[in-house]
Amino acid sequence: MNKNYLFLAILMILLAAGLLLVPERQNYQQIKPEKLMWDITQTSRFVTVDQVAQMIIEGDPTLELIDIRPAKDFEAFSLTNAINIPLDSLMKPDYQDYLGIEDMNVVFYGNSDIKADQAWVISKRMGYNSIYVMQGGLNCWIRKIIQPVEPEESASQEEFDLYQFRKGACAFFTGTKVEAPDAGKTGIKVVKRKKGTAVAGGC
Amino acid sequence: MGPLIPQEIITGQWDFVIALLIGGAFGFILEASGFSSSRNIAGVFYGYNFVVLRVFFTAMIVAMVGLLYFSYFGWIDLDLVFVLPTYLNSMLFGGFLMGLGFVIGGFCPGTSYTAVAIGKIDGIVFATGFLIGVFLFAEGFPFYEDFYTANDLGNITIGEMFGISNEWIAFLFVVVAIVAFYVTWLIEKRVRKNMTEYKFE
Amino acid sequence: MHVHELNPKKTVITMVIFVVVIIAGLLTLTNPRLKYALTPEQTVLLTVSDDGGITPEKLELMLTGSTEKVEIIDIRNHYEFARGHIPGARNISAVELLEKDNIEWLKDLQEKGFTVVIYGKNQMQANGPWMVFRQIGFSNVHVLLGGYQYYLAYKNHETQNYSPCKADFNYAEVAKVSVTSGEDNNQPAKKTTIVRRKKKGGAVAGGC
Repeated sequence: MNKNYLFLAILMILLAAGLLLVPERQNYQQIKPEKLMWDITQTSRFVTVDQVAQMIIEGDPTLELIDIRPAKDFEAFSLTNAINIPLDSLMKPDYQDYLGIEDMNVVFYGNSDIKADQAWVISKRMGYNSIYVMQGGLNCWIRKIIQPVEPEESASQEEFDLYQFRKGACAFFTGTKVEAPDAGKTGIKVVKRKKGTAVAGGC
Repeated sequence: MGPLIPQEIITGQWDFVIALLIGGAFGFILEASGFSSSRNIAGVFYGYNFVVLRVFFTAMIVAMVGLLYFSYFGWIDLDLVFVLPTYLNSMLFGGFLMGLGFVIGGFCPGTSYTAVAIGKIDGIVFATGFLIGVFLFAEGFPFYEDFYTANDLGNITIGEMFGISNEWIAFLFVVVAIVAFYVTWLIEKRVRKNMTEYKFE
Repeated sequence: MHVHELNPKKTVITMVIFVVVIIAGLLTLTNPRLKYALTPEQTVLLTVSDDGGITPEKLELMLTGSTEKVEIIDIRNHYEFARGHIPGARNISAVELLEKDNIEWLKDLQEKGFTVVIYGKNQMQANGPWMVFRQIGFSNVHVLLGGYQYYLAYKNHETQNYSPCKADFNYAEVAKVSVTSGEDNNQPAKKTTIVRRKKKGGAVAGGC
């Protein structure tokens, strides 16, 4: 037998043995701390309650609201079509599937924006994009959308326009103007991905 | 960095370009390894030529070790690499059928095309039959769909199934491959000694 | 039998190239400057535990008492800092926090057992940087609850208890106040939730 074969066999075994020695693979999904800090200093992650209200009213299909409060609070009150991911379960695989869906804009909200921002930081670290924080959280939502305050007479036209919008939004969300709920549409539809749709080939 | 298309580094439209390049390279290696000759392929079953086993086992262990290293360097994300779903029944049956085809026809689907490329008549006949078979299978698929999809284990890898790390599996396979090379070399030597009708260069 | 099977020179050359590529990979493998010390799961626990926040009262106590060694970092920009800051604070704006010198300094403080408190103009501004510091292993870094705004209010004795994460309203009550229709008294809570989950994998597969 040729010596070269012996050399090749030993080389291959050494390479494979080298694999056993290398430390465990890092998770490449996670972004670097430097990048994370940079993203944090940008304020583009915030959306205002007015923007969220508008998206809900327009039925924006790309909006994915995520409620990070405990399940009990979520049951009592939540925004339209919001999904509940309690902050302590954020990393559970079941919930991870709700993040990083193509073309969806995830908006985190909580009572205020601190906890939502923390959820944002962790999700950002995990490499998810198109994620946002609702500024001021539900407290701000109630103050601005549900109980809008009429601006003073000296206020600018924009403020009055905003007030008009909020009045309308309030009517929309509190049901003063009735949006007839479709009786048959209750319950949760889960659209799951299909498995194994790829084309398989053989030798 | 990789895989390129799932990470959207390049678009899915490159699929066919990449397939063409890899296909060309694969065909070249098959022909260069002498797989266009039915003798080389069928030889595995008679014990006088194990070149098929050696080429594929070598390709497999090099790819395996290489991918794991690349994954360690961060050049490829193995979590994004597609894993074929395992349908246990149909894979066992398919494997048996393919072996049968190998020894009867003297080609595997890929090598039949390299045989066509160099103008072998048996290769043309094999490839034609292969296409007819594909057509019949596709047309009749509803009849045996239940059998085809039975025992679906999902997109599972050996490591996930048995709870062993990929690195250990790669190491074990390398050892198995090298032992197999040695054993087949011994078998080859013994069988060829008694063969007179086929001259080895 | 192929000729090169007797003397696999080409195979040896190919294998050597393969090994060279792997060695090149090993050599170019850079060690990241900063590494995460907490896993994402541990970070979740940290956020849930409410650990790491410091109230202005506690900060005052720490500053006046001589037992604890405290450093304060103001992460607002220089202009805001110049207009007023907590006495003794050092100004490092948020974008400069991870610079090499600052990391060295923080490591030094950590070894010496200092408590580091960071604050921004509100708690929100310092929240992210605080989480990054905790995640890269600075367990001695704390965040000033309420930020500078609340600190000022505390100084001027015009505060209530700071509790940013509490609900200010009973949302369900407030939100249905103006429901006038008899359609469905039970709130607008009945709704269709169409949930999409992400796709995994999905590349076209090929075989041998």
